[in-house]
Order: sequence, then structure tokens, then C-alpha cells
Amino acid sequence: MGVIQLDRLEVRLGGRTVLNGLTGELRGHAVGLLGPNGAGKSTLINTLLGFHEPAGGSARVLGLDVHDDRMRIRQSVGYMPENDSFIGNMSGVRFVRYMAELAGLPAEEALERAHEALFYVGLGEVRYRKIKTYSLGMKQLIKLAQGLAHGPKLLILDEPTNGLDPTARQRMIQLIKDIRKHGGTHLLISSHLLRDIDETCDEVLILNKGRIAAISNIEEERRSHRNFIELEMAGNTECFVVKMRSLGCECACFAGGRVKLVMPDVLSARDLYVTAAEFGVQIRRIQQRRDSLEDIFLRAMEYEGGRVDHVSLPA
Amino acid sequence: MNPVNDTIRFENVSKFYGEVLGVNRVTLTMSPGITTLVGPNGSGKTTLMNLMTGLVQPSRGTISVLGLEPRNATEFFCNLGYCAQFDSFPRGLTGFQFVLDSLMLFGMSEEDAHHLTAEALERVQLDVDAAQRKIAGYSKGMRQKIRLAQAIAHHPRVLVLDEPLNGLDPMARAESLALFQELGRQGMHVVISSHILDEVDRIADRVVLITGGYLIAQGNIHEVRREVRDKPMQVLIRCDSPELLASKMFAVNHCVEARLHADGHGVFVRTADIDQFYRLLNDIAVEGLVRIEAVAPADDNTNAIYQYLIGSDGSAA
Amino acid sequence: MSVFLHEYRPYSGRTTPLWTRPLVLARYGLAEVWSSKITVGLFVLSLLPCVVELVMIYLADNPVARLLILRGNPVLTINETFFLNVLETQCWFALVIASWIAPRLVSFDLGDSALPILLSHPISRFGYLLGKFIALAVSLSYVTWIPCLVLFVYQSYASPQPWMLTHLPLGLGIFAGAVLWIALLSLTGLAVSSWVKWRVIATGAIFAVVFVPAGVGGIANAILRTKWGLLLNVPVVMTEIWQRLLGAPAFMNPRLELPNFAMAAVLALASLMCVAVLNARIRAREVVRG
Repeated sequence: MGVIQLDRLEVRLGGRTVLNGLTGELRGHAVGLLGPNGAGKSTLINTLLGFHEPAGGSARVLGLDVHDDRMRIRQSVGYMPENDSFIGNMSGVRFVRYMAELAGLPAEEALERAHEALFYVGLGEVRYRKIKTYSLGMKQLIKLAQGLAHGPKLLILDEPTNGLDPTARQRMIQLIKDIRKHGGTHLLISSHLLRDIDETCDEVLILNKGRIAAISNIEEERRSHRNFIELEMAGNTECFVVKMRSLGCECACFAGGRVKLVMPDVLSARDLYVTAAEFGVQIRRIQQRRDSLEDIFLRAMEYEGGRVDHVSLPA
Repeated sequence: MNPVNDTIRFENVSKFYGEVLGVNRVTLTMSPGITTLVGPNGSGKTTLMNLMTGLVQPSRGTISVLGLEPRNATEFFCNLGYCAQFDSFPRGLTGFQFVLDSLMLFGMSEEDAHHLTAEALERVQLDVDAAQRKIAGYSKGMRQKIRLAQAIAHHPRVLVLDEPLNGLDPMARAESLALFQELGRQGMHVVISSHILDEVDRIADRVVLITGGYLIAQGNIHEVRREVRDKPMQVLIRCDSPELLASKMFAVNHCVEARLHADGHGVFVRTADIDQFYRLLNDIAVEGLVRIEAVAPADDNTNAIYQYLIGSDGSAA
Repeated sequence: MSVFLHEYRPYSGRTTPLWTRPLVLARYGLAEVWSSKITVGLFVLSLLPCVVELVMIYLADNPVARLLILRGNPVLTINETFFLNVLETQCWFALVIASWIAPRLVSFDLGDSALPILLSHPISRFGYLLGKFIALAVSLSYVTWIPCLVLFVYQSYASPQPWMLTHLPLGLGIFAGAVLWIALLSLTGLAVSSWVKWRVIATGAIFAVVFVPAGVGGIANAILRTKWGLLLNVPVVMTEIWQRLLGAPAFMNPRLELPNFAMAAVLALASLMCVAVLNARIRAREVVRG
């Protein structure tokens, strides 16, 4: 049974239909939620948390209906919102403890779990200070800690790396990967950074204009498309390309010594090297171009008529 | 063109806010093109950008932007565009009015301002209808776009952008990066501060690393990388028998370290002489005993430089 | 095993029943409110009149002490009017305390938009408000019906004649009057605090909400030459209600007497307005129209 099941879900806000007939099932361990601004990502998350009522259709989280079993869903869900959301006057420990008790933990257990969660995310002595004195990175971590403290089955993270510097971002991604590895908790991560989603998720749900543009299993996509190859070379690429074409490849040259080619099945990487040795060119990079998340995303946007003029990401 | 007037120059610049350090003794020269400003939060990036745009005066040292100084304010600010990180706008304005009003401050006629506003909105791909709505109702991405529009509308020669991709969806990010690339090609100075290092790597010519208020490195990414000598270049090779490849690599003495990839299908090799390494790899591949699937430089990017020079605690390594 | 790995582990222990969650809110709210020295100070201050009244009851029931201290001067009798004054005093102190406490309960949550996180837990908006309400009500009870009833019990103990049985309706009236006032005050306090952003202004606003309509009502009375403007006059309305609940003799000019149902309607209307404000302000997400 999927973690999230949508059945013709329709949500109206302020007179507008924001989510229009979403149908699909998400089974992945970590699901990425992508889409342009205004596609309905936040609305979907809010609906799953029971903040909005479906105008039509239904949605199920962990098998529970979003409208009828709201409280039970919130019991098993941890939420890390995108924007600042905390009680500045409280210390970190007190805040996490408060949230844990609200989630149903008895008082003593709440204190224990709060400290555990804070230790796990890496907030040390800082936890005894008031949250209003925290830096941005610490505020993100406290939000994560309160989401984890009650041991939810589904963790919803909205832009978890927002505003973090490179080191903190790596740490957050690592934390997310660790949580995912332990198997007990599913994740739903909404982000604009394709690379973050690529690293942490195994399935993506792409929304556009209130509809589902694509549901895609990244793992499966990665295993296909073995014959598209991208090269970065130094030296006389011209001759190299001519020779490869004569061997049956389709080649395209770009600036900076980059070459993209499609190899017929009979050839392998070794043949590239043989040709390179022949012409004395250096191959600095070989990359098998599989359908990366960017391609999946752009394809999804095109199908929905998102943009006619194809945006080519810098090669 | 006089070379002096083509650069942004910092000479021994320090900025203190009372006792608190902003930046200390920064000497920097930036040529046209795209420069990335990289560093942890609180490292002095915003201070540097404020100094560059004349919003803040240095405690010591001099700054000259294209030969101009903040003292000749009119000329100085005409050539500068600043897209700040902070999300506040004057109340009650629509997007169009905001950009228009900013332009009118430069003293041009309303007609010209209208043209330029429309042009700027088109360049950042913000809908005309959206621009007629009040900014208070904008999404995060739209606010970002309108800030950007305001920064580029008057065709400045220097564009300073503080986290310009924050809140933008993947397509808008790609479009903005393309826009910055275009502006850089046109000879503008584009200074971008960003935490998403692999994105700016794609378009940047130069990188400036700063931490704790001190300048750590500046220059072309590959050159900077090469200068970090205590960390030899690392290349990841994916192949079917990584152990065999590693042993062959060790047979030559410029390979200093080989580490197997966690999934067992690749090896990270560190080498002191990258050119020789590639030649050697070519020979091994032709030999045919090892089937090579992919080759990629593992650390010739800003992310790696950041890790090596700034490290995980934010202080200089 | 000598190396201990502290990894994330799911929770499998017992969970508290759903209906107790508002009590968690109440508990934390009370802790927050009472951690402030000003709250304690105000509380002590508001109990001082009760001490004075205690002494007065002692003197009223104790002829010997009366002779010694008052030297034969007449002293008041302990009756409904006495308790009406006691209740009134305490209730106005309650207003002061409520205007200090209510903002502390609500604006800390709203200030840094903690509501999305709060409401993502198994608690509804109603449960959230219930918790805050309980915290306010408990705090206010300490200064209203509890001290009043203590005085009531003391009087029935100190009085030479059997007092309590004959004056039981008085005791019930005190309780009902205080509870009514607490409910009204709590609702108003929470509504105003959720509406106004800054705590200090919220404190002033609560006072304003109680007293300003009185002025408006007075103006309406003078202009329209009617008595219905008095309905907006909270002090007058409340005193009337308490007077009727306690069975004390009427003090108002009979011409200006207000019927029960009118007063009840006004109070109900005020409560509904507060509920409407709370409904609009206590939300997990703003809905932007258009």
C-alpha cells in the first residue's frame, strides 16, 4: 500500500481551484515533490496535513483518510515547514519537548526523546538557549528535531536546505539520507533544488498548474539509457569526432571540448580510448548520460504545455 | 579601454561595525564577467557586497568600482544594480510601479522609464499581468524576479546579486542563470553570492572565497584548485575491476592515493600530475584488461575548494 | 558491545489520549504566564482587598473585637451588598490580570508563526484555543470565585447564627457571576491578543474593548434620550447581572433598569464576535484571495 494515495483530489482556496483532480499512488521510501511556483505543492502538503478540506475526491496518508482521520494522520506525521515557525521565547529543549507532548508522548518520555532528537540533528549546548537567538542553520535543525521527536512514520520536509551554507546543506542532506536508511520513516521532500531531490529521493511527484505532470521512479530511470555518452576532451576534438562518426556514432560538439554522442551497441568505451590514443587527445571526463532528474522535470513541463520555448540547461 | 576603469578594485579594505568584524584587509580585483562570492553565513559576503555597492563606507582602505567612487554618487549609482537578499518592499505598490519608481530615481523621463520597465520584466520572464498585481500577493519566486528586474532595469555595468536564485523553481533557476551568463558575455561585471555551488559553477569565470571576514582565495576555479597543493587532484573512475585499475595506477609513482568507491564499481585516484594521469589512463583503457565506464574529475569544482579551504566548521582550514 | 551507536529510533511507547492534548497546552501556557514576576505581583496585589475584607468579616461577627478596635463605631453588616462589592472588586482585578496574561499566552505563538507547526500536531484549532482558555480561566479563578468563596465560607464559620444554609443562593450566585465574567474576559482577551500584534498594545486594547463601548453607549443615551446605550456599558451591565445573581437590592435608578434578555443578548453577541475574530486569526495558513 502506498504512503500517499490520491484519488481525484480537488482543493479550492479563495474561490480558485488550486488542486485539480490529482490521482496517483506514491510508494517510494523518499518521495520528492517538485513543480514550478504556484503549482500547488504547498496546498498539497497542507491538504495532507488536514489544514485544507478537499472540495472533491479524496486523499489517503498511510492508509488514513485526510478528511476523516485528520488527528490520526497528524499523530504519525512530522512536519518541517519552509518558513520560520517556532516559539522564540522558549529554549530549544522546551520547544521540542512541548511539541513531543502535543504529539502524545507522556511528559518523561517527551523530555528523553527531545534530547535524543536534538543530539541526532547535532544541536549541542545551543539547545538551552532561547530559539530567538539561533542562527538560520540552527532554526532549520530545530524544526527538523521537533518533527522527529515523536518518531513519525512520515516526515514532511518543505525546502529543508533553505538558506543553509554549503556545509550545513551537506549535513542536512546527510541527515535526511540517514533517516531514510533506517527504514522506519518515509519522507516527503519538497524542494526547488533538483540536486537535493536527486540525492535523497527514489520517487518524484511533479506538479504543474494544479495537476500531476509526472510520477516517476528515479531508480528505474537511472538504470536505462546506457548508450548516451558525454565526453570532455582536451586536444584536437575535430579528428576524434570525425573518426567516431565513421564508426557509426552520432556526435555533437560543444564549447569547452565537450562532445555528446550516441554509440551503437557494438562499440564500447574502450573504442573511445583507442581513437583518442590515435589522435593524441586527452579524455578528461566520460559520463553516461542517463535520464537525470532535470530531463524528467523538463519533459514533464513540456507535456503540460508549460513552456513552448525549450529551456536548455547550461551544458 | 583604460584597464583601470574596467575593474572593481578593493585596496586593503577593512570594515568594522563598532567592535564587530565585517571584513579585514581585503585586497581584490574583479574583471568583467561572472564572479561567484562564496562563504559560510556571516563570513562577510553581505558586507563585501554592501561595500561594493556603496551602501556602506569602509573603515579603512579604498574601493573603486570602474574607476568611480561612492563620493560621486550620481555616476556611481547609475552604473550599479543591487539585488539584495532581503525580502521587503514598499507597501501598496504593484510590481510594475516598484520597478518604475526605482527607474524614475535616476532622473529619466517617465516614457523612458516605462520602456525600460517593460524590457526588464520581459528579461526576467515575469508576466505583464502579474506585474500589475500588488507585490504583497506575490509568491517567493515572483518577489525574487521583481527584485532582479529592478536591479537590471537601468542597464548597469556592475550587477551585484545576493542569493538571486532563492525561491525559484528549477526552470526559473535555469533561465536566470542563462540571463546572468548573457549579461556576463556582454561585458558586465556580475557578482553572484550563492550557496548552491554546483549551479554557479556552471556559469562562473572566477570564484572569491571568504570566511570569518578574511579573503581566502580568488581567481579562476581550476587555477585555484591547482594551487591547493596539499590536496592533489582527485578523479573518479568507474570501471568493472577497480582493484586492478588501482594496482596499475600505483605502479607509476605520481599516483598518491587510490580509494575504492563504496559501491565497489569505482575508484577515486589522487594524482600529482593530472596530464600524465590521463595519458596513462588512456593506455590502460586501450590495453583492454579494464573496461572503463565513466571518468569524472571528483574535485575540480567550487564545492571541493570550499571543503578544502573553508572546511566543515566554517573557519579557514 | 563497547561502542554505542545512537541512531534514529522510532517511538513505540504509549501515547496519551487525544482529549488530554489541550491540557498540555494549558500546562505550558500556565508555566509561561506564571514565570513572569509581574504576574505574581499582580496576583498578590489583587488578593490584598480580600485580606481587608477578611478582617471586616471578623470584626462584624466579633462584638468583643469590635468594641476594642472600633470603640463602638457602627460597622457594616455582612450581607449580599457586601459580597457584591467583594465580587466586583475581584472581578476588576481579574480584568487587569487578564489584560496582562492573555497577550502572553497568544502572541508568543503568533509572533514567530508557530501555528503551522503547532497545528500539524494532533490538535485542532478548537483544542488549541481550549487549552489557552483553560490556562486563562484557571489563573483568573485564583483571583475571583476562589477568594470570594473562601470569604463566604469564613463568614459562615464566624457568624454566630447559622448563615450558610440561608445564604446558599448567594454562594451559588457568586460562583456563577465569577464564572460568567471569567468566560467573557477570557474570550475577549484571547480574541484581542490574536488580533493585535504587539503584547503591550494588546494589553491596552483589552482595557479599551471593555471601557470604550461604555463611552459610546453614553453618547447614544444622551443623543437619543434612551436607556439602551447602557447595554454597551460593560461595568454597568456586569454589575446588574451580579446584583441579580447575588440577590442584592437594586442600586440603579428603576427607570434605567435593563431587562435580563437584553443583557444576555448583548453578552452573547460579544462572545460571537470574539469567536469570529479567533476563527479568522488562528489559522495554520493564510488564504490569499485572488
